Amino acid sequence: MTAPSIGIPRSILHYEFDGQLASLLEGLGVRVVLSPPTNRDIFLAGKRCMLDEICFPVKAFAGHVAWLLDHDVDAVLVPVLVGHENGRVFPCHVRTRLSDIVVALGLCPRDRLLSPVFRFDELGLRPEGFYDLGAALGASVEAVDAALAACRTPSPPEGTPQTRCPDAPTVALLGHPYVVQDPWLNGYVARQLRELGCSIRVAASGEFGYSPEGTGQHFDLAARTLTLARQWDTDATVDGIVFLLPFNCGPDGDIARYLTQTTRKPLMTLVLDELRSDGGMRTRMEAFVDLMSFREPARRTVS
Amino acid sequence: MRYFTFSWGKNYIAVRALLRVLGHDLATPPQITAPVIERGITLAHPFLCFSGKLVLGQLQVQVDCGEQHMTFMSSLGPEACRCADTSEYLESLFGTTCPAFSAHRIGGDGVGTALENLRSHFGPRITHAQCMRAYAMFFGKVDLLDKIERQCLKMFHRCPDPARIRALQAEAVRRVDDAHRIVSLWRVSRWFDRVAATLPKRTEPPLARIGIVGGEHILSELDSILMRLKRLAEHGILLDWRGGFRCLAHSDETRLAPLKSRCAEYLAPDVSTSEIFSCTHALDFAAEGYDGLLHIYAFGCMPQTAAKPVLQRIARDAGMPMISLAVGDRFAEEGLDNRVEAFVDLLRSRRRSGKVAV
Repeated sequence: MTAPSIGIPRSILHYEFDGQLASLLEGLGVRVVLSPPTNRDIFLAGKRCMLDEICFPVKAFAGHVAWLLDHDVDAVLVPVLVGHENGRVFPCHVRTRLSDIVVALGLCPRDRLLSPVFRFDELGLRPEGFYDLGAALGASVEAVDAALAACRTPSPPEGTPQTRCPDAPTVALLGHPYVVQDPWLNGYVARQLRELGCSIRVAASGEFGYSPEGTGQHFDLAARTLTLARQWDTDATVDGIVFLLPFNCGPDGDIARYLTQTTRKPLMTLVLDELRSDGGMRTRMEAFVDLMSFREPARRTVS
Repeated sequence: MRYFTFSWGKNYIAVRALLRVLGHDLATPPQITAPVIERGITLAHPFLCFSGKLVLGQLQVQVDCGEQHMTFMSSLGPEACRCADTSEYLESLFGTTCPAFSAHRIGGDGVGTALENLRSHFGPRITHAQCMRAYAMFFGKVDLLDKIERQCLKMFHRCPDPARIRALQAEAVRRVDDAHRIVSLWRVSRWFDRVAATLPKRTEPPLARIGIVGGEHILSELDSILMRLKRLAEHGILLDWRGGFRCLAHSDETRLAPLKSRCAEYLAPDVSTSEIFSCTHALDFAAEGYDGLLHIYAFGCMPQTAAKPVLQRIARDAGMPMISLAVGDRFAEEGLDNRVEAFVDLLRSRRRSGKVAV
């Protein structure tokens, strides 16, 4: 008997789960089909079937689901991410309803969706969702434990290798994991900054779990973004911050102005959407790097 | 002490009642007018939902007038609109021009946390009895304001004298605001029923029945921003909606469970967000044979953006026409007429040809 093939969109939740979904399924003997990195064709396929006003990354996500269904997978994995056990920190509504949205749009029938429910607490993702996923595929708890243990080895974030040159200004890339780690979505910002002589800093995987508290934010990723920004703002090894803001992202829209008002280091907000101009982005990055180089070394750090 | 807040339609009156029980008062929020909206748009980030911009505009105008202590009612249930309660964000916006600005969230995840929350803002001497009385007045007024709004809207389609309905509504709202005891609210309710019963009525049935679903905040503000839409009722169209402030203000899991079960085909039951209300109400309208569904939401509203494809699916499955109106920065009410007229024409022709929702 052939193993079932499960498609995983290389998009939003794949990056948020740090690739653990694919690793877990492979550990359980499932044939995993990971959609290719986002490209223009995938994005346009998603854009065609998605609502205009939905955020940029979710349009790309829909394109990944469509790609997988075109490639004969038995089911597509779109988890339901519910929220924090404390009832105060949540994913945004669109991320939490991804499975409902792809069904409602007619992109994927409900019986070809695999949608285990995941919750998180102060330590990060709770394991119940993985066990539910394993159970849906007929795997025992022991088999899931073994697969989880194998896939939880820390790995560098996909798409944006951290580089650090002693003399180069270090730019921290701030934003949701699925924006920072998806090169097409963020306009290859890491590559462009490296070409301009910068070192790149991104959040280490799982650095903040899912529920940084004390930011006053209900939305998990907005809270994460705010926490990271505060940390990098006082980190002597970071010279500037590039905030990657996807078009029409509500949670980040809440904090964008707050960040620009309160961050003391050079901060540039790049709004990412399908209408962006690569030339315009490059010019802004060059100006940003110039700005950092004009600052005296003593002013680069904040005591 | 005097607090200030945003309007939530007329529901600020209920917040004022709660504060009065605790010995405080609430300023009357400014009407949502073009300058207030413009103020909010200027102040907010472009990606903030339009409802948020309305709220910020109303708050900023009051800060400009010297108000300092903001209070806002959040959910009494586990989740409502998650966009609420970003106190740091509010302080970052208003704290620079008003150093004494403070934001107080009232509400909580049940009676226990509601009391705790009240004490943290209004002092440790707040008793359990005061808390119960404050919330009794709050919900009493929320319910009565809701009843007045709903019944007046329904009366418009069958009463040939809309001016009398408007006068009745204004007087009823004034009496609700003046009521200081539960028994007074009961008297206002009885008075409203008596007067409403004396209004002249048309005998013919409505030309079409339209169910309205959408963002609870934006629906509460229809008097300010979509009055033109409400005038459909004066032309014999029955408009109806089932949501309201109470849904959000008291949406614990016990109350949500039957709604989740009702829309289990469309929404994952583990998530407790406000799009459940919109989808349940849409299913109810379809089951009751309404002619069409009108979806109104603030551009950028995350719950309604997530709900929109699901509502479209519900309408398609039920064979019920649906129109979605996103109200945003560039929304012009004048442009609404053609779309709504075309929609109403469609409903009338379907009705004439005997097509109804299934």
